[in-house]
Amino acid sequence: MENTNWILQFLGRLHPLLVHFPIGLLFIGFILELLTLKGNRKGLRDGISFMVYIGAGFAVFSALFGWFLKIQEDYTGILVDNHQYTGIATAILALITALVLKSSLKKSPINLKAYRIVFFMTVILLTIAGHLGANLTHGEDYLSSILPGNKDNYTSKESGALLAELKSLDTLSELQKDKLNLEVRGLFAHRCYQCHSENKQKGELILVTKAGVFKGGKSGLAVVAGKPEESEIYKRISLPANHKDVMPTKGKLLTSDEIALVKLWIEEGAHWSDQAVKIFPEAELALVKPELPEVLDEFHPIDKIVSTYFNSKNVPWQSVVDDRKFIKRAYMDVVGLLPEPEVIDAFVADNNPNKREGLIDDLLNDSDNYTQHWLSFWNDLLRNDYSGTGFITKGRSQITGWLYEALKHNKSYDQMVSELLNPDKEAEGFIKGIQWRGVVNSSQRTEMQAAQNIGQSLMGVNVKCASCHNSFVSNLTLEQAYGFASIFAEEPLELNRCDKPIGKIAKVNFLYPELGSVEGATLKERLFKLSKIMIDKKNGRLYRTITNRIWERLIGRGIIEPVDEMDNEPWNAELLDWLAADFIDSGTDLKHLIKRIITSKAYQLPTVNYKSSEHLKQDYVFEGPVLRRLSAEQFSDAISQTIAPVYVAVEFNPNEEKMQALRIWHHEKDLTNTVLPLPGKRYFRKEFKLLKDDIKQASVLISVDDAYKLFINGKPVGEGNNWADVGKFDITKLLTKGNNVIAIEGNNLGKIDNPASILFAMKVDFKDGKTFKVFSDNTWVSTKKTPQSNWVNLNFDDSKWMEVRDYGTNNWSKLLEFTFNEPKETFARASLVKQHPFLKALGRPNREIVATTREEQATLLQALELTNGAFFNGILEEGAKQWFGTYGNDSNAMVDALYQKLLGRHPSSDEQKILIEALGNEPSSEQVQDVIWSVLMSPEFQFIN
Amino acid sequence: MKDNNSKVNSRREFIKKMTAASLAASATSIPLASFLSSCSSEVQKSAATADSVILLWMAGGMAHTETFDPKAYAPFKKGLETNRVLSTFPKHPTVVDGLEFSEGLQSIGNVMDKGAIIRSYKAADLGHILHTRHQFHWHTCYEPPQSVQAPHIGAWIAKELGPANPVIPPFISMGQRFTMGEAEELKAFHTAGFLGSEYGPFLIPDPSEGLDSVRPPQGMSLKRFEARYKLYKELANKSEVMEQASDYQRESLMRSMEQSFRLLNSPEAKVFDLSQEPKEKYDTYNTSRFGLGCLLAKRLVENGGRFISVSTEYEPFLGWDTHANGHTRAKQMKALIDRPVAQLIKDLDESGHLDRTLVILASEFSRDAIMEGRPGEEVKDQASRQPDKIEHIRHYGMHRHFTDGGSILMWGGGVKKGLVYGKTADERPCVSIENKVVIDQVHQSIYHALGIDSQTHYEIEGRPFYTTPDGKGQPILDLFGKEIKSSKENVA
Repeated sequence: MENTNWILQFLGRLHPLLVHFPIGLLFIGFILELLTLKGNRKGLRDGISFMVYIGAGFAVFSALFGWFLKIQEDYTGILVDNHQYTGIATAILALITALVLKSSLKKSPINLKAYRIVFFMTVILLTIAGHLGANLTHGEDYLSSILPGNKDNYTSKESGALLAELKSLDTLSELQKDKLNLEVRGLFAHRCYQCHSENKQKGELILVTKAGVFKGGKSGLAVVAGKPEESEIYKRISLPANHKDVMPTKGKLLTSDEIALVKLWIEEGAHWSDQAVKIFPEAELALVKPELPEVLDEFHPIDKIVSTYFNSKNVPWQSVVDDRKFIKRAYMDVVGLLPEPEVIDAFVADNNPNKREGLIDDLLNDSDNYTQHWLSFWNDLLRNDYSGTGFITKGRSQITGWLYEALKHNKSYDQMVSELLNPDKEAEGFIKGIQWRGVVNSSQRTEMQAAQNIGQSLMGVNVKCASCHNSFVSNLTLEQAYGFASIFAEEPLELNRCDKPIGKIAKVNFLYPELGSVEGATLKERLFKLSKIMIDKKNGRLYRTITNRIWERLIGRGIIEPVDEMDNEPWNAELLDWLAADFIDSGTDLKHLIKRIITSKAYQLPTVNYKSSEHLKQDYVFEGPVLRRLSAEQFSDAISQTIAPVYVAVEFNPNEEKMQALRIWHHEKDLTNTVLPLPGKRYFRKEFKLLKDDIKQASVLISVDDAYKLFINGKPVGEGNNWADVGKFDITKLLTKGNNVIAIEGNNLGKIDNPASILFAMKVDFKDGKTFKVFSDNTWVSTKKTPQSNWVNLNFDDSKWMEVRDYGTNNWSKLLEFTFNEPKETFARASLVKQHPFLKALGRPNREIVATTREEQATLLQALELTNGAFFNGILEEGAKQWFGTYGNDSNAMVDALYQKLLGRHPSSDEQKILIEALGNEPSSEQVQDVIWSVLMSPEFQFIN
Repeated sequence: MKDNNSKVNSRREFIKKMTAASLAASATSIPLASFLSSCSSEVQKSAATADSVILLWMAGGMAHTETFDPKAYAPFKKGLETNRVLSTFPKHPTVVDGLEFSEGLQSIGNVMDKGAIIRSYKAADLGHILHTRHQFHWHTCYEPPQSVQAPHIGAWIAKELGPANPVIPPFISMGQRFTMGEAEELKAFHTAGFLGSEYGPFLIPDPSEGLDSVRPPQGMSLKRFEARYKLYKELANKSEVMEQASDYQRESLMRSMEQSFRLLNSPEAKVFDLSQEPKEKYDTYNTSRFGLGCLLAKRLVENGGRFISVSTEYEPFLGWDTHANGHTRAKQMKALIDRPVAQLIKDLDESGHLDRTLVILASEFSRDAIMEGRPGEEVKDQASRQPDKIEHIRHYGMHRHFTDGGSILMWGGGVKKGLVYGKTADERPCVSIENKVVIDQVHQSIYHALGIDSQTHYEIEGRPFYTTPDGKGQPILDLFGKEIKSSKENVA
């Protein structure tokens, strides 16, 4: 028995050698067979036949030897079984192929169809069997692991190099021992932590900590210092593949270098270094301004660097875009608006060679528009919004007022960061986070949210993972995350791993302790220290992170991607560092940074077609900006500018006139609870007394959801049926000295209960300069029952009427038109509007968490919103009426104006023809609407080119 | 208020359509590819017993003792001690032997031979008992807040299974508006979260207006709609910008427009039109927007709906959120759900769709007259001035939030017929005492019925995010299987 065993075993081990014969022969045979299709290359026939016969023979032997290997060497598992079945099937099919071929060749005329089909099947099966076999030998991720996206940052090159360095030495220094240990632990981290960490202690073994490694697991001591042969780790990693005890069971086996390194470490006494293992690549914190390369024909610093980069990548410089394209880009990027046609024409006609820089300066100086565009970027980044969870219980606060001022006055970035981290009342919302009532997961306590948000937004590092357990995606540990969060806590926090306390109190620290201490007796003191070390110029990471974000905004792709993972490799480190250092030199002036980028040729290059979105992620080569879709806000504002106001009310109004008018309605109840108003008419009255009659002027403002009729002293004044249209009436002649009365009939439309309200203001200017005001508030009275017809008059008894209810402002933003002065804006910038389904559909994120990128791809949802959304359709209808009113039957002028306003150019004759045809001789408002829609939907409008 | 929001809302995320259809096509392409993928995972998929899910959501906290798990009846009289009140309604037998429901639910009781009842649901202990937090937890299986946006169970199902009919959105949510108190908290879980807006809910706040969201804009004839699209295409094809556009940009833009055009043009839109139902049927369902939601859910399921939730609207202190007038409100609410729910089950059963449709009726937690939270927990009492002795009818009822017991009804989709699973105590506190069920199990049971693997997860910001936390939830297999002859054996 013994004798036959070794023979079988020997033959079995020939299997891996033998299998290559059938693979090679049958494959090549098959390819040659393909060449003979349609009767071509008849000369190949003999050769192919031999290849098939020999290949089939080898296939049979391979299968047989494979079976020997399996039974002799204890291979088990689904993979082995599958390989076996497919292997045997291949052998049988190969044999059949050979037989069919043989019989076909004997017949006359020769018919190869059946043979070719069987041959094809054989090759398919062979591929599968071969693939499975390769998986057995090399590990299942042998191929897939090198595909883009599956690349492990870890390479075993270091293992090999270190091994080579240390192997030959007789004794190792402490330094070398440290290095060896850290390398081995790095290896554990990548190959073993997945199953052997605190989170998943397979076989009761933890390889993360010293205690864990030396304690060992269920199968015994993992490491016996000096004795690799007794160390379970070494034994297991050096077993042959597919031995049932081999480690690791997941992923590929360790390389021989790696195994040798572990062996060496154990032999050398299994020294344990006190240093922490840096498993993942980490970007340098410090920032040194690189020397600019000597490029004589480029003047802009960015272009000097890019020029050198282009040379190395063999990318030629394209010429920059023309003035029309440039002015649209510049407008969209700096102020988020479309340039007016006259402005474009003047710009194009301007002969000043520095006109582009001049334009950028002008736009950057347009502070309000600059702010109202960039506000959205900062709101996304700082998780600031006008509505969202938490507000209802004051578990969250806005920083809008602070942010608006900071942008408007171009506060330096380090000042902004400092004020966000060590905030006064106005800016505290950022580190305060969102507090839900009740008990929340410990990784989501507000202090931890502060750590996570600062990490992500300002430093481009993911603290989220580490706030629950040691991170799998960075070097951050649970302890570091808790130490960071403890800065924001009244008392140091207790560590929780996966929401379970582990009996350890965090030590206050910052993620990058080399920047300095953040310890302090009070919260205020710690915040002060944090704000100081964060903006320290040694903290290059802070400045690189924002520089990269601004670049990404303007170019469409970051120098580092994703923009929240600043440990990733930049496509050009020199460019990033130079820009970040230049930003610091400018006094962290954000407008300077924007101008720096926009004035470069790199920014002004034509957009580049990057085929798939994958090309933007992997192996990216910068060749120019990427075509960008209009953001939700840009889209909305562009329509407001050119067609009709999309929004007329804002949540935040920088020019707000303070008025005490409340949104009131009849107080509606069901049993004892206040409920939404039911549809129907309600009647409101307010009496007031004027002490004088020398009125210079008296006017009222009124906005009612849904409809109203307004009476003053019994006289009808006006009516309306859209809360967004502010009624403005002069009532100077209607008022008298003594008692007066305002009466409003309000009507809540709809089929079911829904929000309703009245907002009213009256201002009386007397000739002596004094004023008197009346606002809608809870001194008004109302009734649900239809009153007698004299209810609008002064002499009416309303003592039985009820006090009205203040329904709050939640459903109605602040109307820009609700002012006694001339309103400053004709439409509401989308950045100032509360999140709205239309904006949401177009990609404005819910700012429940930090959102730093928006979906670039168009979705069906958006298309639907734009195609049949009642909201958008209503705006188009309104706009079409206005355009129709302006141009009437002059279709030519209308089409030309439309193109100039929306696309910044005249239509081509082709386009003109198509649209004129669509409009017909006597266009209706509907046709105008459809033409507008078609141009708005056109790619040229939807993209910034 | 002419609610633009609801209009736009109602068309949110009308998804997937043709996208899903084309995905399905590519998935069946090369057998080699699927063979290779099977060697890297050994996932065992259970055979699906359901294709669709209807969730009948009792928003606001439905008291089990007032509905599907009645206890001793204490009739109202002045001076009645609150402590003595376990149920404010008498019991009625149902079609299942030994199973009794509270008065006012006789119609539902009559269809219990087609379904099962879980009587031992325990809501999570989230500290302060709050509706929207528990609702968030119920619908996502995660406690808010989370560092990434957790998807609604409907979004998971939409993502994993796609639409059953390419022109019916796979995740439809009906009955809830987002304009009232706690609207933001409601929005926080009516989302596909990190799965992407494509899988989010198609919102139909008012089922009688569902049709508006799936046809050309109001006032636009089909002819005009088509002409407009043709004009757009002509212009778009001439655009030089398209040459600069990366393929994904160009494709997504053109494709999304085309899909939307086709969708709005499709004959399936009439599924959303409730006026197509005979008047008699319409009237049976029409107790409220909830009732009409049940009717629309029926029509959708019969035409290839995937996940549909129909909610009694949540508004603080209204609906099932009975902090006062508990008895009166429970009576109203029962009248609102009893007829349409029973009719839905009957209709689905008759049309044969019940076999492959899992219908679930549930609420975020239960209520009690005395106990806030659960035994042993000290939480803030949120009842409005509940006296120890009841002098007025408004103080008669279940006014406090109770999390330690609760009922869930299930019908169809492979669920055992006539099953009574679990049990609560007959004396206060009426806690679950047998076969306790938590939300992870409910979710996994739904996924189980649909054949979605319990380990389904996605990697987001470096972390694996499972359908139920850490992939640990297990389905309740006892719920599924053949009809049981006599329900007696299960009624302890």
